[in-house]
Order: sequence, then C-alpha cells, then structure tokens
Amino acid sequence: MSEMTSKSQQSCAVLGIFDTPNALMQAIPKARAAGLGTVEAYTPYPIHGIDEALGLRKSPLGGMVLVMGVLGALVALGGQYWISAIDYPIITGGKSAASWEAFIPIMFEVTVLFATFTAGLGMLFLLNKLPFFGHPVLSSKAITGITRDRYALALEAEDESFDSAAAAQVFREAGAVEIEILPAPDRSPFLTSDFILRTLGGIFAACVVAGLAMFFLTKWFPLLAPMKHMQDQPRLNAQKGSTFFKDGHGMQLPVAGTVARGYLPTATGTQDAAATLVNPLPRTREVFAVGRKAYANRCEVCHGALGNGVGSLTAAYGGKAANLQAQQFRDYPDGKIYWVLVNGKNNMPSHAPYLSESERWAVVHYVRALQRAQNAKDEDLKMVAR
Amino acid sequence: MSPNKHASTLLWGATALGALGVLASYTTAGHERFWANWVLWFVLMFTLGLGALFIVALEHLVGARWSVPIRRIPERVATLLLAAIPVGLIALFALPVLYPGTRPEAAQNHILAGKAFWLSVPFFSVRTLIAFGLCLLGLAVLVGGSLKQDFTKNPAFNVRARKFAPAFMAIFALVITMIAFDWISGLTPEWYSDILGVYVFAGAFLGGLAATTLSVLYLQDQDRLQGVQGDHLYNLGAFLFAFTVFWSYIGFAQYMLMWYANFPDEVIYYKVRLTGSWRVVTIALASLHFVLPFFALVTRAAKRDPKRLRRVAYLMLFAHVLDMYWLIFPVLGTTPHFSWPELSFALFFLGGILLWIRGAMQKGEDMPVGDPFLRKGLEFHL
Repeated sequence: MSEMTSKSQQSCAVLGIFDTPNALMQAIPKARAAGLGTVEAYTPYPIHGIDEALGLRKSPLGGMVLVMGVLGALVALGGQYWISAIDYPIITGGKSAASWEAFIPIMFEVTVLFATFTAGLGMLFLLNKLPFFGHPVLSSKAITGITRDRYALALEAEDESFDSAAAAQVFREAGAVEIEILPAPDRSPFLTSDFILRTLGGIFAACVVAGLAMFFLTKWFPLLAPMKHMQDQPRLNAQKGSTFFKDGHGMQLPVAGTVARGYLPTATGTQDAAATLVNPLPRTREVFAVGRKAYANRCEVCHGALGNGVGSLTAAYGGKAANLQAQQFRDYPDGKIYWVLVNGKNNMPSHAPYLSESERWAVVHYVRALQRAQNAKDEDLKMVAR
Repeated sequence: MSPNKHASTLLWGATALGALGVLASYTTAGHERFWANWVLWFVLMFTLGLGALFIVALEHLVGARWSVPIRRIPERVATLLLAAIPVGLIALFALPVLYPGTRPEAAQNHILAGKAFWLSVPFFSVRTLIAFGLCLLGLAVLVGGSLKQDFTKNPAFNVRARKFAPAFMAIFALVITMIAFDWISGLTPEWYSDILGVYVFAGAFLGGLAATTLSVLYLQDQDRLQGVQGDHLYNLGAFLFAFTVFWSYIGFAQYMLMWYANFPDEVIYYKVRLTGSWRVVTIALASLHFVLPFFALVTRAAKRDPKRLRRVAYLMLFAHVLDMYWLIFPVLGTTPHFSWPELSFALFFLGGILLWIRGAMQKGEDMPVGDPFLRKGLEFHL
C-alpha cells in the first residue's frame, strides 16, 4: 500500500491512447464518470463536439476581450480629450479642440490593441496558466503519436490523492490501446534568481554576439552596410573640414574676380546714372508673360493690377504706393524703373533678391505695357482693330 | 395552410393599398418627391438582389461548403433583380426631374458641363441597361445553372460556377459602383466620393444577408431546411456582425476625410445631413445600422440564437432602407420628407418584395439537391 501511495504521488496524469477519434469520444463519458480527476483530451486536430463531451465551460475570454476593448476605447477617448481639449488645446484647421471625429481612428486602434492583447495574453497567462515549463504530456512517449494520428485522453491529478492505478484501469476498460503514466512535472517557481540570471545572461550574450558580428561585418565588408541612405556623398559640407582644399576648410570664399552664375552685380550708382541703361529684352509675348507673373507676385499688392497705386495693401495699411500711371513715371526712362526695382525707393524695398536680372527687365516691359494700356494712342486702337 | 393564406391576403391588400397611394402621390405630392421615392425603392430592390447574388458568388468563389444547404435562399432572393429591372426602367423617367446633370442648366455649370456626356440621359440609361444585362448574366449562370442542377445532378455546374465567380466579382464591383455613382451620387453631381461604391456595397451585402437570414429562419420554422442548424445560423450571424463594422468603417472613413479637409463642395453633403431634422436621421442611422446590431450580436450565443438573429435581421433591413433614404432624400430639401407618400411607397414595394420572395420560396427544391457538396455542407460543424 505504501508503495502504491508513493507511486501515485509521483504521477500527475494518466494517458489513455486511442486509435480513432470515435473511440476517444466514447471513452470521454466513462472517464468523466470515474471522477478521478480532470479529464483532458489531446488530439492532432480539433474534433467536433469534443468541447461539449468534455463539459468545458464557456471560455471567459470573450467577456474579458469585450471589457478591455471598451476600456481601450474609453482610455483613448479620455486621453485624447484631455490632451487636445484640456491640457493643450490648439485649434487646427478651424476644428473645435474637442472634435470627436478626430478621436475615432485612435479610439479604434486602441480598442483593437487592448482587445488583441487581452485575447493573446489573457489566453496564454490567465487561462493557460503560462509560464509553465514542460507540460508533462509534451515529454510523454505518446506525444509523437498525438501530433500525428493518435488520440489521447488524460486523467489529470487535481490533488495529492490522485489514484493513477485506478485511472489506468478506467482507460483500459474504455478500450485504450496504450496506457502511459506521467510523472509529476517539475513545477519549480518561475522567477528564481537562477532563472533570472540565466535569462539576463542569455540576453546579454545575444546582444554582445549580435553587436560584435554587426561591427566586424560592416567593417570587413563595408559594401554590406545595410542602410546607407545618403551618408556618403562626394560633396563638401559648409561647416566641416575638408582635405580637398589647402586651408582645410570645406567652405571657401569666391575666387577673386569671379561672380556666381546669375548674380551679376547690377545698376549701382544713382537713379539718374541708371537712366542710360537700355532694356536688353525684346518685346515678345513670352517676355510679357514673365513680366506679368513677376508683377502679379511682387508689385500688384501695392501698385495695383493696373499700376495706378491702388493695391490691396493700400486699403489695408493706408500706405501710398506710387501711381505708375502718373505723368512723372510715364516719362521715366526704362533704366530708372529698373533702378527702383533693384534698390527700392522711399518705403519700397529692394526686389533684387527675389527677381532675376531678366525678370526685372521683363517687369519693366510689363509696367510700360500697363502705362500704354491706360493711355492708348490712335495707332494702338488700329492695331487692336486689325 | 390557413394562416399562410391569411398572410397572403394581407400582403396583397397592403400592396394594393400602397399602389393606390403611389398613384395618388404622383398627382398630388409633386413629381420630385414621387421620383425620389421611386428611385429609393429601385435602389433598395436592386441592392437587396445584388447583395444576395454576391453571397451566392462568394460561396462559389471561396469554395465554401457550409453554405451549400442554404444556397437556394440567396439564390431565390437574388431573383429580386428580375423585379428590380422593370422598376429601374421606369426610374429612368426620374432622370430629367431629379438629376441635375441631365438638366439644360447643367451647361452653365463648368463642373457639370465637363461631365455633360457622362451625365446625359442617353449615356446614363445605357449604363443602367448594361448593369441590368450584367446582372442577368450573373443570374443566368449562377442561379439558373444551380436550379438546372437540381434535375441534371451534374457536378460540372460547380466547376463552371467556380470559374465564373471571379469574373462575377469584377462584374459585381462594376455594377454596384455604377449604381452608387449614377443613381445615388448622380443626385449631387458636384459632390463626389470614390468610396461611395464600397459604402453601398457594404449596405447591399448586409441587406442581402438580412433578407437571406430572415428567409432561412422562415423556412426553418416550416421545417423545410432539415439539417440546417445552429452552426449555419452562427455563420450568418457572424457575417451580419462583421459587416455592420465594415459598413460603419467605410461610412466613417468617408465622413472623416471630408470633415478634416473641409472643402466646401465636399462638406455640403454632410452639412445638409447634420443640420436640423436630418441630424436626427443621421444619428438614428448610425445607431440602427451599427451600434445596436453590433452589441446585439457581439456574444457568441447571440449569433446562433434564432430569435435574436431574426430581430437583428429585421433591424438590418430597416436600417438598409433608412440608409438609402439618408442617401437619396436630402435631394428634396433640408427637411426630411416623411408622410403618406413615403408610407404608400413602403407598403407597395415592401408588399411587392415580400410577395416576390414568398413566391420564389414556394418554387422548386429548398436545397440545391444536385450539388455534390450538399452532404458535406449539412455535416458542417464549427
């Protein structure tokens, strides 16, 4: 008797192996009726009706997922509301700070996040009681068959008084082709110092190996650099040194006597001196189009679309821009208008940084056209008529 | 047999009464309102039938076996397309009344003038006729072939249907997008949304599914679908559940992008629907089309409970009608029109649809008895 007891203390479960799913299904009620312990089935694939036969309770996972999903939605709603409406309200796009429409996508995402994490982690840790190293069935002799073509029923110990011999007898009577008595698993506590040390050591070792491997691989095989992006460019950085030049600077002054392309110095001196300049551009449709565009972008706000000094800024600020239609300006030679564009006059700033050489002269042509349009001569009318 | 006859008399009576109201509303309620109602019920019938046909095609496409025993039901519901075609042909008379793109003033509007050919009555009608033709093709191959298989027991039909199903999916996408863009978006031709076709598809699938579910439950009550059990119902319930979420996802995605961008020509669509009494309709639509059915079907037990499923299916059908109302009726003005003309149309067309489906349910076998996979489908367990 004492031998029997010591034996049953060592075993945690008894496996009965069956050849067919039908035999397994027929054995389930007998095993349950014996009342020796928890009845569990291990099969290579799900068998219809086995949940009902085993009398499994409805899984609480669905309820947990629902609760956590709703919680996720509320957390996202509350968090966003607090951030955007209370803590740091910024109006963007004319929308109210507490716009529920903007919250919905993130609420959706957080709901899904909470729900999936609850489903996955809840199943693994709460319901399947992980971490649990080495389920005894996994180290049984029958396991290779269970994952292929054998159907196992287990009577698992609920407490110390589990009688493995009686359990084996139940299975034998139910027609099991094979019986296996499983030893009690090593249920050592999870977070032992040994385990933590081993885990941390393993992670550290993996990091060291991966880091060293990466270091030497990229060093020895530089072409294998996984993500180069645009690290190596054959250009000089303005703020960095360079061995290309003798003085060791990346940034250099222009060579004496040279001018950067498109930056010719122009029209210095007085406005009167500039009067002699001649507009180098021909009066073509394209030139007028360039002038018109530049005028619309840079001049129209003050001088107005007609050049009469009535622009939108005049109304807004009361500043008086020159009326280009005035006799004084109609009598200006091209060069004087050009000079103003480059140097500015009175309140008008210089437009040289924004308009290229040819754009400036195109604007001059366009201003001439505006003046002509407001003071048309007879021959102009004839030209239009033609 | 007597309660059956009773119901039949009631249906005929309601339809006749509705028909009188429909005729009266043509003369007294104004042409715009009459045609808005007509287009609503045309689109509704069409989407129900097309949604059911989609379910049939889906089974062949993915090789589903569980739905073989109940396939005859969506096949019968899909014949609603045959009834929708004459309704749609009459609805073509609504074009000059209701659709701004077909009016002469459209030439002055540069947006409409650019689409003048596309929106013109002849090309609009041609597109609709093409859609009808494509639907008839789908019906002939998928439903006609299946009915014929009852007698021939020839498994060649399954092969043919499986090969045709992918093509039909393309046809389906084309037809439902065409219906959504022409008949629904065409009411507001200056407003466009690429996703509207998908939105209407989600509604159509839900509508077809709800009609299928109700018909399955109706036949089950009469013991005519023996072998169809909880797991089959569960799948129908799961589809209903999933597609309420899909519908609201698409609907909200469309709304949110327009709300964010805030372009005047886009938000006007929602401005109309979110002010005054239309706001109430919008909230009701969101609640009845998504919130209520979602929570009604969220548990596993609810999806296999015939009582619950029946209620949700009725709700989904009502929500689908409301959805179409919400899409179409704002064309009449900033307040929702609802009184005796709408009721008469509802009586007439609902009575007609029910009579049609009832009639279809009486004809032939209740299950595709010639399908070699029927047995497998009956053995289906989750």
